[in-house]
Amino acid sequence: MMVRLPIFGKALLPLLMVATVACDATPPPVGMERGAELFETCAPCHGDAGVGKVDIAAPAIAGLPQWYVEDQLRGFQNEYRGDHADDLPGLRMRPMAVSLNREGDVESVAQYVASLEPVYPQSTLYGNAGAGASSYVVCVACHGEDGLGNKDLHAPPIVQLDDWYLLTQLRNFKSGARGARTDDVWGQTMRVNSLALTDEGMQDVIAYVQTLR
Amino acid sequence: MLELVQASTYAADIDRLILLIGVIVGVWFLLAEGIFFWLIWKFRAKPGEKTQYLDGTEKHIKKWITIPHALVLVCDVFILVGAVSVWYDVKQQLPDADSTIRVIGQQWAWTFQHPGADNELDTGDDIFTVGDLHVEVEKTYHFQLQSRDVLHSFSVPVFRLKQDAIPGRSITGWFTPTRTGEHDVQCSEICGIGHGVMAARIHIEDANTHAAWITRSTAATTP
Repeated sequence: MMVRLPIFGKALLPLLMVATVACDATPPPVGMERGAELFETCAPCHGDAGVGKVDIAAPAIAGLPQWYVEDQLRGFQNEYRGDHADDLPGLRMRPMAVSLNREGDVESVAQYVASLEPVYPQSTLYGNAGAGASSYVVCVACHGEDGLGNKDLHAPPIVQLDDWYLLTQLRNFKSGARGARTDDVWGQTMRVNSLALTDEGMQDVIAYVQTLR
Repeated sequence: MLELVQASTYAADIDRLILLIGVIVGVWFLLAEGIFFWLIWKFRAKPGEKTQYLDGTEKHIKKWITIPHALVLVCDVFILVGAVSVWYDVKQQLPDADSTIRVIGQQWAWTFQHPGADNELDTGDDIFTVGDLHVEVEKTYHFQLQSRDVLHSFSVPVFRLKQDAIPGRSITGWFTPTRTGEHDVQCSEICGIGHGVMAARIHIEDANTHAAWITRSTAATTP
């Protein structure tokens, strides 16, 4: 059933259009200025300096490479990240990424994040770095011996990431909350490598990663 | 032309109630404003006339309050009867369900738990989706509404349905979709910085399309 309201429609639509145009101020062009403006939306969770807030599972992002931030934002936008019922922090992040809907927004905010002073968050987990070293052999191919990552393989610099964040993501990969979608090409690769790890093994390998700083 | 889709059995009742309230309040608004402006014009400043002080206790003056007051109370009775009737139908009674779904709000997404082919919730073939609710037209659904963090409100405008989600509680409600289509689901309770983009879609499907979706999704979905 359809209700038609011609009088309201004719009266309200021009007003709405005027209001929309009035509110639609032209944003700065693609680049740092626009990125700084967009980052105001990120700051409540990730902090003004991008150092993250563990209490709300918002990782440190300051100084991460622009290509990696862009990758992740596009993952959220294309719904192969943050699209699983058990990935609560991801569910929080996805709509924020989706709201970057102007052309160049993703690049701008990623450029701004990359420009922030990098941080190496404190360890919060306890693992056996010695045992983790042997597990890390598998990771070297993509993340490198120094854990600085590899842009060509879309492998992030894991030495810069929070240990609790790494553990959450490894668990997500293993459970299929991340990396299970066929369009998440690089996530699928990571998921395969997470399957053999026990929870203890994950903490061990993360402890080893912390020693690479 | 604005078109307001009504896609649930009670959407038209709620629209009628809103119209009733709008007309009654609108008539009184126009009448009151008209009288105010008429009085301003009638008793405008005139040369040689002094302003009088009226304390409003004389009967012929007080009637300007008492008569409208009584008429407004009569109008309130009409609104109350309409509102209670709709409230009872939508919130107080629970028709038998053909199926039950679970709706979970969290900052800032809606997760939907659908029963699989067995039409039983909390069994192995349940289908979990984020941001997409699939229902069959002309079937009555019970929904169990939950929140994982803060207050949210499950709002389906085409159903004229809005129900708060409260952490720690499971709130049961119902709806019966009456037409196929794809429509918005919103959060209508401020729930944080991402509230404005906490959107989802409801897919109201015919029986064959819905059955096909269940078949297709059962294998692909993991809890």
